[in-house]
Amino acid sequence: MRYRCRHVTRYDYGDDVPVSHHLVHLRPRPHPRQRVQSFALRVTPSTALTADHDDHFGNPVSYVAVQEPHRRLTIVAESEVEVSASPILDLEETPAWEDLVGAPGDAATVAQFAFNSTLVTATPNLADFARSSFGEGRPVAVAALDLMRRIHRDFTFDPTATTVTTPLAEVLQKRRGVCQDFAHLLVGGLRSMGLAARYVSGYLRTLPPPGQPRLVGADVSHAWVSVWCGGETWLDLCPTNGQIADRDYITVAWGRDYDDVSPVRGIIVGGAGHGLTVSVDVEPIED
Amino acid sequence: MADTSISSVAQGSLFGEADALGYTTPVVYDEMVDGRGRLRPHWQTFMGSLGGLDPGRMAERWEEARRLLHQNGVTFNIYGDPQGMERPWPLDMLPLVIPPEEWQTIAAGLAQRARLLNAVLADVYGPQTLVRDGALPPALVFADPGFRRAVHGVPVPGGTHLHFYAADLARAADGRWWVMSDRTQAPSGSGYALENRAVLTRVLPDSFRVCRVERLAPFFADFRETLASLAPRGGTGRIVLLTPGPYNETYFEHVYLARHLGITLVEGADLTVRDRRVWLKTLSGLEPVDVILRRLDDDFADPLALRVDSSLGVAGLAEAVRAGTVAVANALGSGLLESLSFRPFLDGLNERLFGEELILPHVATWWCGQEAECAHVLEHLDELVIAPAFRSLPFDPVHGHTLSVAQRDDLAARIRRSPWAFVAHQPPGLSTAPVWEGDHLQPRPLVLRVFLCATPDGGYTAMPGGLTRVCAEPGRLIVSMQHGGGSKDTWVLSSSRRVEPMAHRAVPDARPLRAATGDLPSRVADGLFWLGRYAERAEGCVRLLRGAYGRVTDGNQPGAPEELRVLLHMMAPLGVIPWELTRMATSRGLDSALRAAVFDESHPNSLRANVLRLHRAGYSVRDRLSLDLWRVISQLDRQSQTPARRIDAAALLLRLDDLMTSLAALAGLEQESMMRGHGWRFLDMGRRMERAVHMVSLVRCTRLASPEPPDADTEAASLEVLLELGESFMAYRERTLAGVDRGPVLDLLLPSEENPRALAFQLAALERHVAALPRGSGEASAAAIRLVAAARTALRGSEALHHPEALRTALDALGQTLPDLSNLLAHAYFSHAFARPA
Repeated sequence: MRYRCRHVTRYDYGDDVPVSHHLVHLRPRPHPRQRVQSFALRVTPSTALTADHDDHFGNPVSYVAVQEPHRRLTIVAESEVEVSASPILDLEETPAWEDLVGAPGDAATVAQFAFNSTLVTATPNLADFARSSFGEGRPVAVAALDLMRRIHRDFTFDPTATTVTTPLAEVLQKRRGVCQDFAHLLVGGLRSMGLAARYVSGYLRTLPPPGQPRLVGADVSHAWVSVWCGGETWLDLCPTNGQIADRDYITVAWGRDYDDVSPVRGIIVGGAGHGLTVSVDVEPIED
Repeated sequence: MADTSISSVAQGSLFGEADALGYTTPVVYDEMVDGRGRLRPHWQTFMGSLGGLDPGRMAERWEEARRLLHQNGVTFNIYGDPQGMERPWPLDMLPLVIPPEEWQTIAAGLAQRARLLNAVLADVYGPQTLVRDGALPPALVFADPGFRRAVHGVPVPGGTHLHFYAADLARAADGRWWVMSDRTQAPSGSGYALENRAVLTRVLPDSFRVCRVERLAPFFADFRETLASLAPRGGTGRIVLLTPGPYNETYFEHVYLARHLGITLVEGADLTVRDRRVWLKTLSGLEPVDVILRRLDDDFADPLALRVDSSLGVAGLAEAVRAGTVAVANALGSGLLESLSFRPFLDGLNERLFGEELILPHVATWWCGQEAECAHVLEHLDELVIAPAFRSLPFDPVHGHTLSVAQRDDLAARIRRSPWAFVAHQPPGLSTAPVWEGDHLQPRPLVLRVFLCATPDGGYTAMPGGLTRVCAEPGRLIVSMQHGGGSKDTWVLSSSRRVEPMAHRAVPDARPLRAATGDLPSRVADGLFWLGRYAERAEGCVRLLRGAYGRVTDGNQPGAPEELRVLLHMMAPLGVIPWELTRMATSRGLDSALRAAVFDESHPNSLRANVLRLHRAGYSVRDRLSLDLWRVISQLDRQSQTPARRIDAAALLLRLDDLMTSLAALAGLEQESMMRGHGWRFLDMGRRMERAVHMVSLVRCTRLASPEPPDADTEAASLEVLLELGESFMAYRERTLAGVDRGPVLDLLLPSEENPRALAFQLAALERHVAALPRGSGEASAAAIRLVAAARTALRGSEALHHPEALRTALDALGQTLPDLSNLLAHAYFSHAFARPA
C-alpha cells in the first residue's frame, strides 16, 4: 500500500516571537515493513534554519530554528510511504511471557524499553490491572493482545478527558482518554509485567477502504504500541482500535513514550501566548 | 594544658602528645595522633610552628580568619531555609596535613579513576560496547534517568567528557583512604578550598612557610589551559561559567571561580543560540561563546532537548554541541556516573579497559539489580547503608540498623519490587582530625574532597589540597555543609625542597589568573541600573524619614510643625505612609507608621523593602562589585533590620544616620572605585534617573506648583524641607545671604547644572551617558537622546519656573518623559526574554 501523508503544524502567536527552536519527529523512520519514497519538510518563514540528525532510537529528527521576529510558524511535512503487510506471526508460537521478563539476550536495543521512562512508570496498580491477561506460561503475543483488547473494551475514547500532561494513574482511574493515553497504558501494563514495549507515533489512513468503518485517530497523529516477542520480533498493537497494526498504519517514530517522539516540540524565546493548529491527511496513492 | 608548648612536648613525653594537648587518644584513626597518642611525624612541624595552643592567641587568629571570610563575602546558601541565604562560611583554623608520599597515592589513584570514568562515559555516550558485551548491565544505563539520550552519539572535543572531577575520600581504621563518592556532574568546592587557603595563609603565615605546602594556583592555571584548549575555533575563544544563579547553594563559589579564572559569569538567560552557535548577549550585541564551564546540572541545560520545564538553561544548547560549535565542560550527560550503581563494576571495567587494578579502594557496594547481590543485601540489611542506585531517584540513604522491623520489611519489599533501583554499601569508616573548640582541640570525623582536571594531553592532574569537611558534632557522621558541618584547608606537604621554578607556579594562590573580560551581559547592565535606582531610592527614603523623625523628636524648633506637615504630604503620595496621617495624626499613630516605614519588610515602600531590593539587585551582579562595595551592601542589610529590642525615637534617628552614612559610602565607592565602563555607566544612569524622578515628585508634592498658592508659612516650610532633602542648604547659603525664597531655592534645585543634587545636573549626566552607550539599537538610542533633550528644554528658562503654572507644566512634562526614558533603555538594552515551551 502506498500513501501520501501531509502533516501540518501551525503556531499563531499573539505577539512577535524573536526566536523559536523546535525539534520535530516528522520524517517516517526506517522500518522493516515500510519504505519512505520521498519526504519534504517546508517551514514558513522560509528563512528558518533546519538541521537533521537521527536520535538515540534511530528516528530522524529535524532541528528547526526561526531566528527573526515572527507571529506565525508553519511546518509542513509531506511524505510518500509504502507499507507492506506484516509477516504473519503465529501468536501461539511466541515465547511464554515469563521467558522475556527483563529482556534477556538482546540487551542494549531491547532492554531500555522495559524500564521506566519520563511518562510511563511501572506501578503496582498497573501490574494489578495487567495481571489477569498474563496466565502462567501464556505466549507473550497472546497475553499482550488480550491486555490490548481489555483496554479497548473497558476504556472510552474521549478527547475531552485528558491532556498531554494527564498522569497515567488518572487515565487508569477514569477509564477515559485518547490514543496517546491508551498507548501509554498498554506500555505501562507490559512494563509492569517486566516486558519490553515501545511507544509508536505515526499515522492512520484518513479514509477507510470502501465498506469498512473509519478508524478512530485518523486526521491527527496516532499512537500505538510495539511489544517485544523475542529475537527480532515485535508485534504492533493498537489499543485505540483494538487491533493488530496493519497496512493502514504508517510508522513515524518510536521511543519509550510520547516525550521521546512528540511530533513537534518547541521553545519560544520571548513573545506571547499562542494558538496551535494541527492537521494530518493520509491518502492512498492509486498505482 | 592548653598553653603547653608543643615544641617541648615534641621532645618526648611519657604520656604522648595527645594528653599534653588535652586531646583524647582516638578510638578510630586520627589524622594528628596515632593510637598511642603520639603526634604523627608529618604534624610535628606544623604543631611546632603554632608555638603553643594559647587560647588567647588562637582566639585572635580565629577573629582574624572570621574577619577575612566576612570581608571577602564568603558565604553559602542553604536550601529550603528562608534564613539560609548567605550563611557565613565555617572554617576551622587547623588545616588537615597530608604527607607527600600519601598524597602521591591519592593523586595517582584518583587520576586513574578519572581516566576510567571518562572512558566509561565515552563508551556509554558512544558505541555502548560495554553494555553490548555484558560488562555493564543495561539497566545501569537505560534505567537511569541520568542517562541523557539527547546527547548519545554526539562527539565531544578530544573524546573528553569529564574535564573536572571530584571524589570524596574517607580514611578507614586501617589508615587507607577509600573513595566514598564520585562527582562527575559539576563538582563544587574547589573555590571554597581556594578561599580557605587564602584565609589560612593570612592567619598562619609562618606555619604555612615552614611547612612547605604545595600551592593551589598552578592547578587552576592548568584547568584554565584545559578549558581554552577545548575551544572549537582554537586560539583565544570566549569561555563562560554558566551558573544557575544567585539562589544556588554555591553561588559564591561561581562568582569566585569566574573571577579567579578570568572568565565571564553568565546565567542561562544571558546566552542564546543562533545558527547552531551559542552567543552571549552583551550591550554591544551578540558575542560568540566557545567554551561553557557548566555549574548547572545537565538536565537543566537545554529546555528544548532536555528538561522542558527548565528556565535556567539555554534553548538549543544541545544542538550547538551537536554542531560542534561549542564545548561544554563537563560534557552534557556526565552526571550519569555519580550513580552508585556503577561502583561495583568499576574494578572489572578498569581491568578490562586498562588492564590495571584500581589504586584506591572504594567502599564495598552491591547493586540489587543482580540476583546474588540482592540476596546478600536483603540478608544483611542491618549492617548496610541502603541508597538509591541512581543519582536522581528521590530518596535519602538510610542506615539499615536505624529502621524498625516494620520499616525494614517495607524497605525489603520495595527492593524486591524494583531491585535495580537500589544499592547498598558498607558504612564508611571516618578518621578524625582536630578542630579548635574555643579553648581546646576536639577530634571530629572528616571527609576529604579532592579535585582533578583533565589536561590537554588526555591525562588528569589533581589539585594538591582539597576541601576537608568535618562533622558538626563529634559523634555525628553526616558530613555536609547543608547540615551544619565545618571546613578546613588541606595542606599537602611538598616533597621537594624548593617550590617549582616555573614562572606561573609562583603566583600567589589568591590572585586571579587574569583580568576579567570586558563582556557586559545585558542582564548585568539591567542589574546595575536597578542597583543604582534602589540605592538612590533608599537614600531618598532615609532623608524623608530622617526629616520627619528629626521634627518628631524635637517638635519645639521654630517651623517644625509646618515642616513635618510638608514632609507627611510628601511621604503619603510616595506611598511611604498612609494618607490618613496627613489629615490628623496622633503621635502614637505617627510613631507606628514611621516605624513601619523604616523596618517593615512587607510594606512595599519602606526603607527596609528598598534596601532588600537593593541587596537583591546587588546580589544578582555580585561578580561585578568590589568586595568593599559588597561589604557596604551587607552592612545596609544589617542596619535596616528591625532591632532586637524596641528602640526610642532618638535611637532610631541615630540608626537612620548610620544608614545614611552607609549609603554615602556606597555612592562614594561607586564614584571612586569603579572603572568607567558601561557597567558603571548603567549604575550611574540608574542613580541619576531615580534622583531626577524623586526631585520631580518632591516638588510636585509641595503646593509650589499648585494654582492656589500656599500661605507664607507653608511656602517657607516647603522651601526649607526641599533644601534639606536636596542636601542643598550649604549651597544655598553660599549663594544667598537673604532668607529662604522661592526663586533662588528653585533655581538651585531645578535648572542648576552646578548643584549635583539639582534636576538639570541629573539630566546633563543622563545625556552624556546615553550618548556614550553602544549603538547596538540605533533607533532606541536616538530616541533616548531626544527624550533627554526634551527634558532639558522643559527646564530651561528659569524665569518660567517662578510662576506656578509654568512650573506645573514643566514638572508634568518631566513626570512623563523620565519614565519613558527608563522604559526605552530597558527595552533597548535589557531585553532578556525567557524561554518557554511553544
